[in-house]
Amino acid sequence: MKNKYAYFIGCTIPFRASNYDLATKKVAEKLGIELVDLPDAGCCGLYFELMNEMTYLSMAARVLSMAEEKKLDLLVLCNGCNGSLYRANKKLKENPELKDGVNKVLAEVGREYKGTIEVKHLIRVLYEDVGIERIKKKITNPLTNVKAAAHYGCHLLKPSEEIRFDDPRNPVSLDRLIEVTGAKSVDYYDKSQCCGGYVLAADAKTAYRMTGEKLTHVKAAGSDIMITGCPFCNVMYDANQKAAETETGQTYKIPVLHYPQLLALAMGVDPKELGFEQNRVRPDMKLFVKGL
Amino acid sequence: MDVKEELKSEIDGKTINYCFSCGMCTGGCPSARLNEKYNPRRILHRAVIEGKIEDDIWLCTNCYTCQERCPTKTKVADIISLMRRIYVKEKGIPEFIKPLVANLEACGFTATIGELENKRRERMGLPPVKMNDEIRKIIEKTGGGVK
Repeated sequence: MKNKYAYFIGCTIPFRASNYDLATKKVAEKLGIELVDLPDAGCCGLYFELMNEMTYLSMAARVLSMAEEKKLDLLVLCNGCNGSLYRANKKLKENPELKDGVNKVLAEVGREYKGTIEVKHLIRVLYEDVGIERIKKKITNPLTNVKAAAHYGCHLLKPSEEIRFDDPRNPVSLDRLIEVTGAKSVDYYDKSQCCGGYVLAADAKTAYRMTGEKLTHVKAAGSDIMITGCPFCNVMYDANQKAAETETGQTYKIPVLHYPQLLALAMGVDPKELGFEQNRVRPDMKLFVKGL
Repeated sequence: MDVKEELKSEIDGKTINYCFSCGMCTGGCPSARLNEKYNPRRILHRAVIEGKIEDDIWLCTNCYTCQERCPTKTKVADIISLMRRIYVKEKGIPEFIKPLVANLEACGFTATIGELENKRRERMGLPPVKMNDEIRKIIEKTGGGVK
């Protein structure tokens, strides 16, 4: 089993979700996985995927080259970064001409893309590389009182023709990862729906209505909390929950945890070490810690 | 410029030929459900029949539901992304994306990472993130910036 990865946090995490970074590191420590920081990495190139292919591929290849230098696969935490970097890596490996073009650009910044590593989202690493059985052995505080609603988001699974992880129509990975903590993963209407984050800048009203619709379904299913594996989905459901409430006229008060925050709690990590001060809708810690 | 011809110069874009306007894409689209201005079936149809791209393409959430559902394997979401690139080439970067590009050029992140963010990271025992000028150089070299 692989136990060392180059570790990419992108833009949204240092700006708005360092708690996701923190919880991932706590979980990795418990599982004996070494994460090698890339402090100079910056952005994956996602926005340029929509504007200029060469800018996008060069920005993505720059990040990929940093993991290649360390001879490590790249672990990413964000669905957006996953889609952007996974697809750029695939495209460049399959197109030598594009790769040459990109390397001419990267020469400007003293880097080279070789095509020697893989890109893996944290959820995929936990589900495929680590595996449920190995995680189960580290659970010391089963969260049997918790009902959680899994939100997969989009670019963890799609386009499935390229990413080939789990079943995009009926995914199970995040549900299994929730259940191994002892929590119940509740089913809810329109579970595979998008958070709306991608249209936030173009049309905030549509984005918040999309966010609100899903929160409505999560609440109707009687879930205590929602679980995300993408920092931007998390921003939409947690930090922008108030804006979604304004748009739909409903009140949600649903705490939204980054998946490793839940897993770390089940592994007995002190909630004070998991950055909950950055979760806008604070969960009641009595749900997770006995005797509080 | 003929949009259909431009799309067909790309592998994913060529799949627009498979589309028979059944509307499965629009039937599953979260953006179309909430906003009558947005309709992916209409966007593809318009490109084929009229050779046109309009501002509504920016309402795509890029969720790929359309592409996963399409019975003819038309790469609906990828085609709409290609249309966005054609749009940018013709009309420039839309106003609402310009601030992100400015941030990328200034510090290498889509947001401005300042003292506040790194102070928070320090409190959490996390390493600081560093600004870089490599991304600005890549944007310049590839002509990706605001013109």
